[in-house]
Amino acid sequence: MAEKRRAGVAIMSDSKSAKAAGDEQLLSQAGVSALLRGALLRLLESRPLDPVGFLAEHFAHLSSEAEDGAPERRSVSRALWHLSLAHHSHRSAFNNNVRVAYELLTQSVPRRLGAGGVRGRLYSEMLRCLCSEGGLSGSTAAPLLRRIQSHDYESVPFELFRQGVLTCAVFADYIRKSQCLYAAVASAPDRPAERTLCQAVLSTLREALETAGGADVARYLEASAKISPAKVAQAMAEVQPRAQQQDGPTMDAQEFEDDAAALFIARVRTVT
Amino acid sequence: MTIINYLYIKNDPCCHVIALSFYFPAETNVLFYLNDAVTQLLEHKEEYTQFGVARYFAEYFTSVKNGNHVLFREFSYIKATTHNRESFIHIFWKCFRQIGKNGDLLAMAEYSSLLQLLCPDFPTEMVQNAARIVLIEDATDCLMSFSDFIYSFQIQFYFEEFVESVSVIYQDLLSGKSPNTVIVPTSTSVEQLSSAANEEPDAQGGVDSSIFCECIEGLCERFKHKFPSSVAIKEILESSQRVSFYGFLMALAKHEGVNQDIGALPNKPDLLIDPEMDQELERL
Repeated sequence: MAEKRRAGVAIMSDSKSAKAAGDEQLLSQAGVSALLRGALLRLLESRPLDPVGFLAEHFAHLSSEAEDGAPERRSVSRALWHLSLAHHSHRSAFNNNVRVAYELLTQSVPRRLGAGGVRGRLYSEMLRCLCSEGGLSGSTAAPLLRRIQSHDYESVPFELFRQGVLTCAVFADYIRKSQCLYAAVASAPDRPAERTLCQAVLSTLREALETAGGADVARYLEASAKISPAKVAQAMAEVQPRAQQQDGPTMDAQEFEDDAAALFIARVRTVT
Repeated sequence: MTIINYLYIKNDPCCHVIALSFYFPAETNVLFYLNDAVTQLLEHKEEYTQFGVARYFAEYFTSVKNGNHVLFREFSYIKATTHNRESFIHIFWKCFRQIGKNGDLLAMAEYSSLLQLLCPDFPTEMVQNAARIVLIEDATDCLMSFSDFIYSFQIQFYFEEFVESVSVIYQDLLSGKSPNTVIVPTSTSVEQLSSAANEEPDAQGGVDSSIFCECIEGLCERFKHKFPSSVAIKEILESSQRVSFYGFLMALAKHEGVNQDIGALPNKPDLLIDPEMDQELERL
């Protein structure tokens, strides 16, 4: 079975016959060893959830690159694909993938145009795509993008690129979490939640963000994760006696999401 | 020394194998597929190297992902991983579901030939075992419907090792030997065990369901291969006091939850639906 063949089985088995030697020669001549080594290293760095799918894409990209070079359009989608491989909480894998994405995007810029760095237009497009792939609507993402995207003509260095990508990834998670919080607070899926309850949850969110401190965006999410169900329940219990009537003022899902987004975005530094 | 440094020391892919085994769980079988990809490349180098090796590997892994990779491969390959087994069952269904539509009944030997079209060295023994599930052991030259056959075949093939082990447990219970798991005998269970032993091996009575269930649960706790969910097993064995081996397997074959967990076949009502072929046939 596969388990027996898995650990430590060499591709070249223990035979020293001429066939084995000929095979080895073929593998190195055709560049197979180098190809596999590269693929395996990428696999170890990215640690994707679907290794087989990852390898299929990886080799497909390599072969299409060999065939006709990589036009700009493809670079953005390849960069996006790399960024999707590891969640931002897997810090080292995520950073590796950001580095690869960055290099993909800088490669598509002819050297004479800029002293390294990603072209502003590509960077802004990347961020837009990241937000929409993270499930964010255009209107939710717009205020964030206004703060962090750059001008088309500017050249974006790596650290800024990394911060921008990380911010979008964390923001997408944050909004998803807020949506879950709203769903928890709303008494029925088709009826909006009570305003006072929503405001209680939003102020717990604000408190959590305020205690985060520091410039590292990812801490905001960790902070919001500190909003344990107990804390939310406590906040709601404090509010509850005042909200006895069923038909008090309500807050709909979009307003809640916009308010939650605003709390996050307020803490993101505008890129100048 | 990090794993990455170690990789660069030896100039061949072997050490990557060891590194990967630390990082990836066995279920993904990445190493197995890489190994096979390189072996296939070497065996058919004339066919592949003209298109470039990157393209070869891309196609190999894409076909693995899509489940087409098992077509026309040898039996040892298609049984090697659960993904391969599931893919093979799925392909068999896709290729031959028209038989079911026509309502044809086929004999075991005919199903065996069909399987060998897809996998030249598919063993007839396994087809025989699958047929025994449908026909409850008797008269294996009887005809079977496609639907009956394929669900039983799925159980026999996908859970091959489990079926084998359960067979041993069943035989032990029949012959009164105490099975591997230690069951603290209460006076009633000892009575039941010895009364099971008093019956002839091929008696219709089978074995006591709850003892059988306990033994299977004990097996699953330490079992390294795939097995059906314990929820399904319990459901089946709680529904009657006594159970026979083939009765148990047949119940597994018919169990919708087990089928869905495997993921290779639709549930019975949808088994024969093939809209594209219907369109083709309407044109004729």
